[in-house]
Amino acid sequence: MNGWNGRILEIDLTTQTHKSYPLDMEMAKQFIGGRGLGVRLLWDMVGPEVDPLSPENVLIFTNGPLTATGYQTSNRFSVSTKSPLTGTVLDANSGGYWGMQFKKTGFDVLIVRGKAQKPIWIEIKNSEITFHDASELWGMRVFELTEKLGQDNNKRNVLCIGPAGENLSRLAAIMNDRERAMARGGPGAVMGSKNLKAIVVEGTERPEIMDQERFKFLLYETRKLLAASPLTSQALPEFGTIMLMNIMNNVGALATRNHQQTQFEGAEAISGETLSETYLVKNAACWACPIGCTRISKTEKVEGEGPEFESAWAFGAQCGIDDLAAIIEANSLCNDLGLDTISAGSTIACAMELSEKGYLDSDLRFGQADALARCVEDMAYRRDLGAELTEGSLRLATKYGHPELSMTAKGMEMPAYDPRGLQGQGLLYATSNRGGCHMRGNMIGLEVLGLPKLIDRFQVQGKSSFVILNQNSNAAIDSLVVCKFTNMGVADEYFARILGAVTGVQYDTGDLVKTGERVWNLERLYNNREGFTSKDDSLPPRLLTEAPTDGPSKGWVSQLEPMLKEYYRSRGWDQNGVPTPKKLAELGLENLVDPSRTLEKIA
Amino acid sequence: MPNVKLFASLRKISGIKEAAIPGTSAGAVLAELVRQYPALAVHLLDDGKIRPHVILTINGHPTDNLDAALAEQDQIAIFPPIAGG
Repeated sequence: MNGWNGRILEIDLTTQTHKSYPLDMEMAKQFIGGRGLGVRLLWDMVGPEVDPLSPENVLIFTNGPLTATGYQTSNRFSVSTKSPLTGTVLDANSGGYWGMQFKKTGFDVLIVRGKAQKPIWIEIKNSEITFHDASELWGMRVFELTEKLGQDNNKRNVLCIGPAGENLSRLAAIMNDRERAMARGGPGAVMGSKNLKAIVVEGTERPEIMDQERFKFLLYETRKLLAASPLTSQALPEFGTIMLMNIMNNVGALATRNHQQTQFEGAEAISGETLSETYLVKNAACWACPIGCTRISKTEKVEGEGPEFESAWAFGAQCGIDDLAAIIEANSLCNDLGLDTISAGSTIACAMELSEKGYLDSDLRFGQADALARCVEDMAYRRDLGAELTEGSLRLATKYGHPELSMTAKGMEMPAYDPRGLQGQGLLYATSNRGGCHMRGNMIGLEVLGLPKLIDRFQVQGKSSFVILNQNSNAAIDSLVVCKFTNMGVADEYFARILGAVTGVQYDTGDLVKTGERVWNLERLYNNREGFTSKDDSLPPRLLTEAPTDGPSKGWVSQLEPMLKEYYRSRGWDQNGVPTPKKLAELGLENLVDPSRTLEKIA
Repeated sequence: MPNVKLFASLRKISGIKEAAIPGTSAGAVLAELVRQYPALAVHLLDDGKIRPHVILTINGHPTDNLDAALAEQDQIAIFPPIAGG
């Protein structure tokens, strides 16, 4: 076996038993790994009758054939489940070291089923699986727990939940290697609902590589390409993602005060430039990553990873806060408690608007930096207003009679880029299979940064083709599983070539894009099966009807309807946004419910 | 005259955050900017053209058109290559 280990490990928490069985290699070739393999397995295992926080939901951790080979950024891994925040298909992926270490245990996939009767943690040392009592660990925060369970970056790696996951916060993240997060959509709550506190891995096996010489040469070539690209050799290592703050503000696409405005007067104060001059200690990198985009920041109260742009935005501009130290501390608190920073910040912002308008009886107001830490703690522990915030902004706003004030798509809080300044980004959010997310395919490259080329951000006609290409490409990269930042220096064809060198299976760029399209369509089918329709491909009314009154995006609203019609057509879906039989056949999905190919039969 | 704001590494390289720079087109303003701050030249221009991935906005609108006409009160922002998600 080359690339893939060819094995699945399945753990049943209810019976505290485990088994392993072969990975269906035809399935693996079709879906590769990561997000792709995750959704394929989830399709078989979790249907519409399953509540996301019930024992019948599963957590599917997946590697890819490139994981742990030493290829640049081959450290990432994915988790797939049904989201307790949105009810949609969910995958989240993370960097650090855990994915690499899990691959070295000899498995490609870890499936976690059922629910333990009392808190446990699991230790996987190659094929040796041990269940441990976690009663004394329950309640422990992520940083302390990670150290206690013996985190040692290259040898032993800890994946866990914090108090937020234990308390079933719908915004709970699964954390790994102390400060890496599988954050969006609440996977931490799924883990908490299973009474599973942590999974610790130690492995000694290395994946086999089909063509070592070719692999080494491609490694050399991509190293050169990443070193030659100013994006991966200068921009990201030197400034990190937070450098986007000033430019997004400059072009009038920085959502501010719960998307009430598109520019923030305090943007400079919470920018990458200011971070570099004040709290930045150094940059850092994941395993096998030459880029090093991570920030390490230090204030009087905390020192640790971050903040990323989205986290700085969510607690910053979205809440009307220009206190960078408070933002860094809120970010660190989220990591320690195991919470998604984007949803946490945006939900607090929603609460701020509800309070200011008198719909919610609270003292929360935009600009209150000292409220951040309190809110984040209360969300993790379900205390006071935190018990409502931790359900997410849509449930919060709906409870107080104003769901339109939740800045979500399919129930997931949208990130920083305001669609009124970026038409393509709006279409992206509305059609994202896991909800308001910028990682399904980021249009800011084309619409603002000129990566690879600048296009008119306000243009509507023809925009869907760019969005579709972005979405398919990102789905493929998420299935490899590598970091999307490598794509800023390395063209898609290199991924196809390295995949061929490692696995011996010949892919070309078209095959990879087709894989991405296949994954995208299966996710769509999953959501259709859950009851999601074209009505859910939408944005909050504010973005469709309330134009900014000043700034570069003045007068613009999201022109979603014409873009959506064009999108469905270009996707090969019917007018209701359902993949047609012809499209499914083209992607090899027509026999999806073939009984001979379900996981149970394979096992 | 048009006002130019610099961001990220361009501030350190030039020693300034912003300056009023004369010129009636984006290209003319850039040329004058690198004349006044020569250290910026290699980072912004390559054979008279704007370097790939350098981001130029005029009144908040990204453009790659150096012939774009400028008015006296126009605001120009220049960013080095930036990436993120």
